[in-house]
Amino acid sequence: MTTLAVKPGQRVLQSPVTGQEIVLVGVIAVLWAALAVSTPAFLTAGSIQPLLVATAPIALVGVGMTIVIITGGIDVSVGGAIMVCSVITAKVLVEAEVSLGVAVLISLLSGAALGLVNGVLIAYGRVHAIIITFGTANIFMFLGLQIFGSGTVNGIPATLAFFGRGPDGRTLGIPHAFLVTILITAAAWWYLRHTAGGRHFFAIGGDAQAARLAGVRVQRRVLLAYVLTGVLVGLASCFVIAQGTSTLDQSVGSGKELAVIAAVVIGGTSIMGGRGSVLGTLLGALLVQTVSSGVTQLGWRSQLSDLFVGIFIIVAVGADLLRARARRSR
Amino acid sequence: MTTTTLEKQDKGEKTDFVRLFLTQRIPLLAVLIVIVVVTFFINDAGGYLTAPYDFDYMSAALINAVPLAMLGLAEMLVILSGRGGIDLSVGAIVSLAGMIFGFAYGEWGWPLWLAIIATAGFGALLGAVNGFLVSYIGFPALIATLATFYAYKSIAIVINNQQPISTEPIQQLFSLSKSVELPIIGQYIPDVPLGIFTFLLPTVVAVWLLLARTAYGRRLYGIGTNDVAARWAGLPVRDTRFKAYVYAGLISGLVAVVTVAQFASARPDAGVSGNGMALPAITIAVLGGVAITGGIGRVAGVVLATLLIVWLNAGILLAFVGNEGSQYQLLALGAVLVFAALLNGLTNRKYGGASS
Repeated sequence: MTTLAVKPGQRVLQSPVTGQEIVLVGVIAVLWAALAVSTPAFLTAGSIQPLLVATAPIALVGVGMTIVIITGGIDVSVGGAIMVCSVITAKVLVEAEVSLGVAVLISLLSGAALGLVNGVLIAYGRVHAIIITFGTANIFMFLGLQIFGSGTVNGIPATLAFFGRGPDGRTLGIPHAFLVTILITAAAWWYLRHTAGGRHFFAIGGDAQAARLAGVRVQRRVLLAYVLTGVLVGLASCFVIAQGTSTLDQSVGSGKELAVIAAVVIGGTSIMGGRGSVLGTLLGALLVQTVSSGVTQLGWRSQLSDLFVGIFIIVAVGADLLRARARRSR
Repeated sequence: MTTTTLEKQDKGEKTDFVRLFLTQRIPLLAVLIVIVVVTFFINDAGGYLTAPYDFDYMSAALINAVPLAMLGLAEMLVILSGRGGIDLSVGAIVSLAGMIFGFAYGEWGWPLWLAIIATAGFGALLGAVNGFLVSYIGFPALIATLATFYAYKSIAIVINNQQPISTEPIQQLFSLSKSVELPIIGQYIPDVPLGIFTFLLPTVVAVWLLLARTAYGRRLYGIGTNDVAARWAGLPVRDTRFKAYVYAGLISGLVAVVTVAQFASARPDAGVSGNGMALPAITIAVLGGVAITGGIGRVAGVVLATLLIVWLNAGILLAFVGNEGSQYQLLALGAVLVFAALLNGLTNRKYGGASS
């Protein structure tokens, strides 16, 4: 998809930032400027910090989702998986009073287990990913509700405050949740761009059969993509618990799969596979969160932000389609 | 479609029951329905259920089949059209068209028939937006309908300030969803929910006629099976695919009327609350043997899949106390979907493709 024939001296890799990312940076800058002018309270730490904290879980799961979509798959079960991981972690925190590290580890392992289920079914069952993950989404929700037992988990201790909204969750004014997200996004960006293993994901998404013939272990790579997503869901679930109150209710994770997919496609990743960037996903998540934060601060109905998310998806993907058409005709 | 008939002739002698059940979705679903119903009858006789599971109960449960089967057929039309066809926005269309119906019939006092036609037409318009984006602009269906899902959902909530519409005429619509005794044979069989006759059966017959008896239906299977070949054969590929989304929107508009009548209120989140309506609808379509890659699928499969899920859910509700039942319904839906998908994958490899 990206390069068909390599002439001497020509770049094999795309340039470090794609057109979509530059456009996104521009759109976010314009939005921030407009919001700063219309509501003076917007460009203050008290408004930006919650924005970054709220972006973190979506962007983090988005890293995994980007890799999954690059391989030509999709994972619509992340909402259910977030529910399972957060309720397990919350219960462990309440009943066993474990430390921060143990809690995070438990959440990561739960996420990895759920991702493994998806990965095995998709890689070895050879079934389309959207069907399998629609199915596992239901099964995960069942699991989550069963673990919930009663309506809510109450009295969650502040063990995870390191990732939270409070002063414990910041260093030099930057929320830890966002900092961790940036680091993981950067690592994933380097991995996908500069290692053979990372390039394999693109090869699978471009043409799985060709990748297999070229010696890529397609099934293992696909499995890895879903397990990675699961692990990131586990970490994101810790962020979600830390951002909430001491009570966790059953709506946790609901609808998050679509929010994550929206961030990924706004970020310029092709849903057909073979092309995409985790940097774009981070910017996409930031854009979506900026819109919903802006709508609230302007005093509009908060549900209107969904309308803007829809419009942004159309505009972002539409622009990408036009560029693809231009690339083809060149 | 045609390749499977050829293969059947090819390996005609090897045809046996196992292969029939694995490759033919309709006998498999029929057997599964019998197993589910017999299982719950036995449980009922043993006194393990909280209420009797009999023909009256099964008939009353059919009210849930009306929106489910109709949306399943809507999904089937768009999935048949191929190139990753799918419609995530059907639930949001149900919400938004339902609000329009609430305004037209509940507040502006339009006659019922006009309000229903207007709602269906509005649903078709919303579907046309999807179809335009997918077919004429070239958006992947998943993305286009994800975007319109967000947009329609948001407009449905904002349009009446988050308030449901439940004026006098809307509340009286509830009579539409009650059960009626059929003429002549009614004494011998249980009462059947009215919605089956007013909405579900006409839709099923119309979709069946459209797919099996019109040139449009043939074209839809054609473009779904091989989009490029269809174009070289001179078929109007874009127009055909566009119309599939319009029909899906139209059916969703009709489901909006059913839903408003069932709740006796036009709720702004009717089609998107909780899990939404799109997920179960896609599940029904896939379970009914519609291939996600397009070009394969039959009306009878979707109808049988609906009956299976509806009667399974109805039984599960009686097998557990409190809201445990609704949780096990999630498990059943998910497990059945994964099972059906894996079975499809298996038959694809072993027998070279499952025909619907």
